[in-house]
Amino acid sequence: MAAGDAIRSTRPGGRLGRVTAALVQWLPLGIVAVLWEALSRFLVGGDLLPPVSQVVVNATDLLLQGEVLGHLSVSLFRVAIGLSASIVGGVLLGIGMAQFRAVEDFFDVLLTMTYAVPKTALVPLAILWLGVGTGTAVLVIFLGTLVPIVVNTYNGASSVDEKLRWSAEMLGTSDRRRLRKVVLPATYPAIFTGVQQAIPFSFIVLISAEMVASRRGMGNLILSYGQLGNYDQMFAVIFLFSLVAFATVGVFNRLRSSVLAWE
Amino acid sequence: MDVETSLDAGTVDVDDLTMTFDSGDDGTTAIEDLSLDVESGEFVSIVGASGCGKSTLLYLIAGFLTPTEGTIRVDGDPVLGSGPDRGVVFQEYALFPWRTVLENVTYGLEEQGVPKDERREQAMRYIRMMGLEGAEDLYPKELSGGMKQRVALARTLVIDPKILLMDEPFGALDQPLRESLQDHLLDIWREVEKTVIFVTHQVEEAAYLSERVIVLGGSPGTVLDEIEVDIDRTKDRSDVVTADAYNETRRRIRDTMHAEADY
Amino acid sequence: MGMSVNLPGDEFSMPGLAYLKSVYSVVLLVVVWEVVAQLGLVYYAFLPPFSDVLVRLVSLSLSGELVFHAFVTLRRAFAGLLLAIAVGTLVGLLMGRSRSARWFFEPLVNFGYPIPKISLIPVFILWFGIGDLAKVLLVATDCVFPIVVNTYRGAESVDEKLVWSAEMMGSSRRRRFRRVILPAALPDVLTGIQIALPISLIVTFVFEMISGGVGLGSLEIQGVREFEPTIVFATLIAIMVIGLVLDRALRVLRGRLLGWE
Repeated sequence: MAAGDAIRSTRPGGRLGRVTAALVQWLPLGIVAVLWEALSRFLVGGDLLPPVSQVVVNATDLLLQGEVLGHLSVSLFRVAIGLSASIVGGVLLGIGMAQFRAVEDFFDVLLTMTYAVPKTALVPLAILWLGVGTGTAVLVIFLGTLVPIVVNTYNGASSVDEKLRWSAEMLGTSDRRRLRKVVLPATYPAIFTGVQQAIPFSFIVLISAEMVASRRGMGNLILSYGQLGNYDQMFAVIFLFSLVAFATVGVFNRLRSSVLAWE
Repeated sequence: MDVETSLDAGTVDVDDLTMTFDSGDDGTTAIEDLSLDVESGEFVSIVGASGCGKSTLLYLIAGFLTPTEGTIRVDGDPVLGSGPDRGVVFQEYALFPWRTVLENVTYGLEEQGVPKDERREQAMRYIRMMGLEGAEDLYPKELSGGMKQRVALARTLVIDPKILLMDEPFGALDQPLRESLQDHLLDIWREVEKTVIFVTHQVEEAAYLSERVIVLGGSPGTVLDEIEVDIDRTKDRSDVVTADAYNETRRRIRDTMHAEADY
Repeated sequence: MGMSVNLPGDEFSMPGLAYLKSVYSVVLLVVVWEVVAQLGLVYYAFLPPFSDVLVRLVSLSLSGELVFHAFVTLRRAFAGLLLAIAVGTLVGLLMGRSRSARWFFEPLVNFGYPIPKISLIPVFILWFGIGDLAKVLLVATDCVFPIVVNTYRGAESVDEKLVWSAEMMGSSRRRRFRRVILPAALPDVLTGIQIALPISLIVTFVFEMISGGVGLGSLEIQGVREFEPTIVFATLIAIMVIGLVLDRALRVLRGRLLGWE
């Protein structure tokens, strides 16, 4: 009838209310889980799609056995190194481009070209240079996550409110200190956004590199199990890795409000 | 007193209107036990401080919101949702950005199934009336604020509503432009002879434009005062603003609003 | 740069002449590349001379091989992208205008988004074999997320006053959806597609590298396996050109459709 009707909300109070609300919110996932279970038990063979319950059990088993942790730590290590390198390099480059015209001119087209290349296409190139293993993975992660960080940093640094900079100048801060005390902190939110974008992307590139050019790591593990026909384990590892990815992104997003509490 | 109700200009009867948002412990009552009547062809202003519920009242009459209690009747019939009998002009213009001026104005006619040539003819009549001839193929992004508001007005007038509801239509414009549009609006009103309900927080504007001013206030909002304004508006602006009736009205509105504010 | 940024890669779409000014860094790089390689300062396997790469690029083009592989890859990527657009815009629009749809899909999208769908390559091979179908479906699965999210955002953030105006002028609910919600959401829908496009290529390439066969990804990895670095570089250059052309084409399309923006 009438658009914009007043919303009547009935909110049960207290802790019970909050728990109920949370349950309702996540219910669709529960529905999907139930459908999955039913699908794999009654329609599709357990081979093609193990039931959710079985996947969870297998995943727990793998964790307890411990071998998968080795692969997981290798993968996370690669992400950490690659991402750290691209954050350092990306922030430097982004700020450099925002502050100095010459730097911007030099790297502009190069970045455009890098942006145009889907990063997984760089994997074979990395193999040429660094062979199979951690080096390749780190290099591809570095190159793959560089662009979002540079772009976001650049945008943040170049849009620092003029008035902020003038205030600092008026208060007697020299050029270089202005950079450190005004431009950089004002750019933190943008940098953080860049990192937030880079993280899920780093996982994508990591798995790609590990599936194509690695003998260890989660990506390689998943592929190996698949090739050996060990589907139970394959699904379990995928499940584990998905949880890790989900948790990492979630933790990082939550981090934003504490690190950038003033935002 | 008119016995005949003009078909072109509707009457509005509001009885014991109450509007509460979000029922429950933290509901807000915007309006309580509000009653007013508007006669056919009358120009009525509703004045009040920000947040006094005047826009809410307008949206209720328009039919975008449904009252919690009370009734609203237009020409004796209860209001059930919105429609072309009650044209609305918003402060933010609400023009469709993907349509040209002409296409915006013909929107309502398209809904009425008017054939293309006739649509254009009718629309151009009002576009001319607004002094926008030549701009009919421009997009809203190419228009100034004043032009946009005139398009919004043309768009609403072309569907021949019985009542014109205006929600602080000149609020976003600067003073000289506002004044010229006010005079333009009065000219149009005299020509089309519609009932106009004009919401504003500007005391001067209410006193200048309307035959009757309804002052809203309090929390929850209700009618504080109703003032008949007896000015000969065919005179120039400079004559009107020096008239006793005008200044009396202004003072009276101010006093009412201040009295309500200081307690 | 220095343009107001709204879309990913907006910073990189400078007008023609300004572009030329910055090209010098690329030219410089290529020159250094050629010199370093020709002087034998690096292994051939590491960095073949640019001229050799160019020769390979030309020969691949002339033989039609490059076009063939490119066609295969693009066909897979586009099929997946179109499927994702069809499903994603529908879900996104539903989510934007229906509370129950939003309740149902939101946790699914939130959970699925951060998971690297690429890890599902072996699963899709298991289910759909190593042909085109598996690739198209995985591309669709990965691309659907940004499209849903952006479409949802567009549909949900339509200015209420626009919808009210349409209602006031006599539009029924269905007509309001078609005549107001859809056009108002279109910019965000296109943004979602612009984000999904590179994803479609990324996924296709990896899949091809792993499963072999034909396609640019397979071609590139073939260069590694057969110790032909010029193939790797030439394919990479071709991929880059395709990426640039597609991105530019999408921008032009956006400009055409959204001239009013």
